[in-house]
Amino acid sequence: MAEALGMWAGALRAQRIDRLGTLLTLAGAAALYLLPFVVVKANRIVPGEPHTLAAVLPPAVTLACTVCLALAAAAALLAANARLRLAAALLALVAVLLCLAAAGDALSPAGNRVVRIAPGAGFWVLLLCLGLLATDAITRLAPRPGRRVLLLFAFLAAAVLALASGAFDHLSIMREYAVNQERFGRELRQHVALALGSLAAAVVVGLPLGIFCHRVPRVREAILGTLNVIQTVPAIALFGILMAPLGALAAAYPLAERLGIRGIGAAPAAIALFLYSLLPIVANTVLGLKRVSRTAVEAARGMGMTDTQVLARIEMPLSLPVILTGIRVVLVQNIGMVTVAALIGGGGLGTFVFQGIGQTAIDLVLLGAIPIVVLAFSAAVLLDALVEVLDRGGH
Amino acid sequence: MPKILKWLCLLAALLCSGLAPAAVVVSSKLDSEATMLSQMVRLLLNANGVPSIDRTRIGATPVVRKALLTGEIDLYVEYTGNAGFFFNDVADPAWKDLRAGYERGAQLDRDANRIVWLTPARANNTWALAVRSDVAAANHLATMSDFGRWVAGGGKVMLACSAEFANAGTLRALEKTYGFTLTPQQKIVLAGGETAATIGAAAAGTNGVNTAMVYSTDGGIVAAHLVLLADDRHQQPVYAPVPLVREAVLTRYPQIAAIVKPLMESLTTEELQKLNARVQIDGESDQEVAADYLRSRGLVK
Repeated sequence: MAEALGMWAGALRAQRIDRLGTLLTLAGAAALYLLPFVVVKANRIVPGEPHTLAAVLPPAVTLACTVCLALAAAAALLAANARLRLAAALLALVAVLLCLAAAGDALSPAGNRVVRIAPGAGFWVLLLCLGLLATDAITRLAPRPGRRVLLLFAFLAAAVLALASGAFDHLSIMREYAVNQERFGRELRQHVALALGSLAAAVVVGLPLGIFCHRVPRVREAILGTLNVIQTVPAIALFGILMAPLGALAAAYPLAERLGIRGIGAAPAAIALFLYSLLPIVANTVLGLKRVSRTAVEAARGMGMTDTQVLARIEMPLSLPVILTGIRVVLVQNIGMVTVAALIGGGGLGTFVFQGIGQTAIDLVLLGAIPIVVLAFSAAVLLDALVEVLDRGGH
Repeated sequence: MPKILKWLCLLAALLCSGLAPAAVVVSSKLDSEATMLSQMVRLLLNANGVPSIDRTRIGATPVVRKALLTGEIDLYVEYTGNAGFFFNDVADPAWKDLRAGYERGAQLDRDANRIVWLTPARANNTWALAVRSDVAAANHLATMSDFGRWVAGGGKVMLACSAEFANAGTLRALEKTYGFTLTPQQKIVLAGGETAATIGAAAAGTNGVNTAMVYSTDGGIVAAHLVLLADDRHQQPVYAPVPLVREAVLTRYPQIAAIVKPLMESLTTEELQKLNARVQIDGESDQEVAADYLRSRGLVK
């Protein structure tokens, strides 16, 4: 035993065995054998009975799934080829998902709409391990930005198709979706609209403000300081502060009310998000402009360019990647923060989260939370790709 | 006419067309019971030719209340006992009686805010205790007085409740009124305070729990085979659901009061438990349950 451990440590040190692979394999094996794969709940609010994979599915299916997982583990531990690692991870991912769908079918009593089959901790840990293995493999492959975006859309399309196929309809989260189907689309659109709308407004205001700060160093500290203070106000408090003046505005001008500018609803949420978005955009604009080399600017002036021309042709293009990094921060931050808009009637996926918390129905919370995570992840991948393309173009 | 002007006119026309009928804005708090009740009112108004806009589930009590006072919403379902908090007068004994509390709250709100209280339901959504049905049957427990006698006589009780219930005086007031005292070993205080957790503990008998803090209209009570103990000495404030509407809106649509009356009169605590169970336990949508109830009662066709 000690000898085997010694050999393992030696192999690890010699980097013949992958470190990340070792960690993922240990976590995955623990998840498979020690944690429940699915949880059967008598109804949606009671804690359920845990079941392992082997207890739920026929031995042949369990064996097939275990073989796929063992392949993924072998690839994670020993394979140096990133393509092989990715393929093994995806194969095991599909196997685990199929098992989950099968477990949902096997455990659902016919005609009973109250019993809920929820994915267990074991499933989530396996999903995380395989997801990490796959993303690590993709990072090692270092695909070009365009490829990465393509991969993202391929994954999203596969996920939507899998969910639409009805294979997962017996699972608890999909049951919550079925009840809230009509509202889900609406809240998703509202969520995206609030996140993007406040971002757009912040770019329109923040970019000129950042340029102004760069040109007039005297006001820089004051403006950035003010934005910093705004950033520290908790979202709920900011909503509360905005409610009174917006409500008064709506009462005084009926047209404003008809346009949706009210103390409650999307308006205070959008304004609060806009205020939070300003700091990263202004700060990154200042930083980006500072990064532009003096020689480039002086050369441009030497060629007889005006201030505006220098800004448009030299400074903006060169600082764009940094500014975009700021926009990326804002977008991902907004997608998360829109969640609290549900507390003042702003809508968005947060309505499911807070409704679920109120009813202690964890599946309903997940119905709101999982799409928020997917949205934030997708936004990050898309903007990262964009930054990289521009950065390459810039050099 | 320049093109831009034409577009502006079109935009203005579009905006104005949206203004035409002053529909009643029906709102609600975030929780499932209040939302379901507000949906019932809204669907009933629609069925009787009063146009309405659905803005349910907009926030917690202070948010919804403020929205009504500023006129951003026109109608929502409140609970009678909450008026004690709105008007800073929690000590008034009127809140412990449905009729008196309703009349007091209705008068205060009309005088101060020009808000009209419509017909209240004959239901009460207040703090209460519920015991496992096997324990209730074995010890003949139906009211809080029975419970007090049982515990004082050495009954084996184990209560699951929230920190708020245990510490803010609610439990102490019940103990004083019904003549019993729970030792620290006889209660499990949960940090969160969700009744779903206390009901779950009593249903599963976790750590010997056989009594749960509940809201009296909780859907989980029936599903978990618990018996709600009646507050027979009226120690707790009564929280009867009641639709609140702005007077200006009621003047525009005076028929609202008569439309809502039969609905509110049909609702009892037991009825609400059953309806809440469909939303909270079975996971049906509040709007679906609301529509179904109106149909089953013949309130809409």
